[in-house]
Amino acid sequence: MPPTSRPLACWKSLLRSSRHQKATARSLTTYHHSKPASQTPITLPWNALNATPHVNRKIKTYPPPPSPAAKFKEPIKDLHEAQIAVLDPTGARSSLFSKSNPEAARVGDILLVRLKTGDPFAGVCINIRRRGVDTGILLRNELTRVGVEMWFKIYSPNVEGIEVVQRAAKRARRARLTYLRKPKHDMGSVQNIVLQYQRSRSAIQGGGQNDRRGNSRKKGKARR
Amino acid sequence: MIQLKTMMNCIDNSGAAIVECVKVLKMKRHAKIGDRVVVVVQKQRNFGPESGPGGSVSISNANKVRRGDMRHAVVVRTAKKLQRPDGSVVKFDDNACVLINKAGEPIGTRLNGVVGAELRKKNWSKILSLAPMHV
Repeated sequence: MPPTSRPLACWKSLLRSSRHQKATARSLTTYHHSKPASQTPITLPWNALNATPHVNRKIKTYPPPPSPAAKFKEPIKDLHEAQIAVLDPTGARSSLFSKSNPEAARVGDILLVRLKTGDPFAGVCINIRRRGVDTGILLRNELTRVGVEMWFKIYSPNVEGIEVVQRAAKRARRARLTYLRKPKHDMGSVQNIVLQYQRSRSAIQGGGQNDRRGNSRKKGKARR
Repeated sequence: MIQLKTMMNCIDNSGAAIVECVKVLKMKRHAKIGDRVVVVVQKQRNFGPESGPGGSVSISNANKVRRGDMRHAVVVRTAKKLQRPDGSVVKFDDNACVLINKAGEPIGTRLNGVVGAELRKKNWSKILSLAPMHV
């Protein structure tokens, strides 16, 4: 198509220039020209430092202090061992509940815990919670036809000694015998078994004194 | 963990068998062994002919409290585990209490059942001496 066939094409450039003029005229009053930000001098601390003449001075460096983490690889383990060494110097309690000892007490055994204050407590061991120095045992018994459960910390200074009254007939196939709380499995009172054991122990030891209160001892220092 | 509406066994010979806690005294939380509570007698104990010297006495005479009576009581056993200062923990199979009067003396004259040794700490020595056993 020849260009002469577009008579209004001359208006296009005219309109464009007028539009541009209008835009500049509109922005003349409102547009504020400030200096670009990069040209204004900013006084910032690092700038001030850079402004000082650069001298090649040597910065003294110190080696880090020796890390205690390297010295004590397992601090909690060390602490537990140290505390067990204090609380159980003979190692009798540790061995009574250690997993490596085949003669160790297991769940299902009837244990007797002699206390420094108060009567001894006997019961079926239904849980052994091995936690280093916080190792505890859960004993269950029935006193005056009421089930009683007690946790004892085996390293507690209040615990004078722990005796195995009767071993479990079979190895328990559970770690925690909580099913012994159910009436179907409840062993009831083990008091007569414990009394029989205490009588037999006192007979073996020569019948020094009546051991109704469980003064017979298997390990630890003699009280009398 | 004795709180409002907890049903407890009453282990004395006051005549109440089962009581319900209606108020824990002097604290904002649940009652433990040795704490004082207000209870309502819900079930009376019916003493049979074998109930000792008062065998021929009728129920109304043998029972010092009746159903619906509101009394104070001391918690002596809880099924909630209770830790002692030496790290040992004691837990009973049931919740039990002993009825007392306003002065703190037990209403019954005999207790049947083991009680917690925390009563000594809370100065309930009269209840402890009545109890056949404490752990």
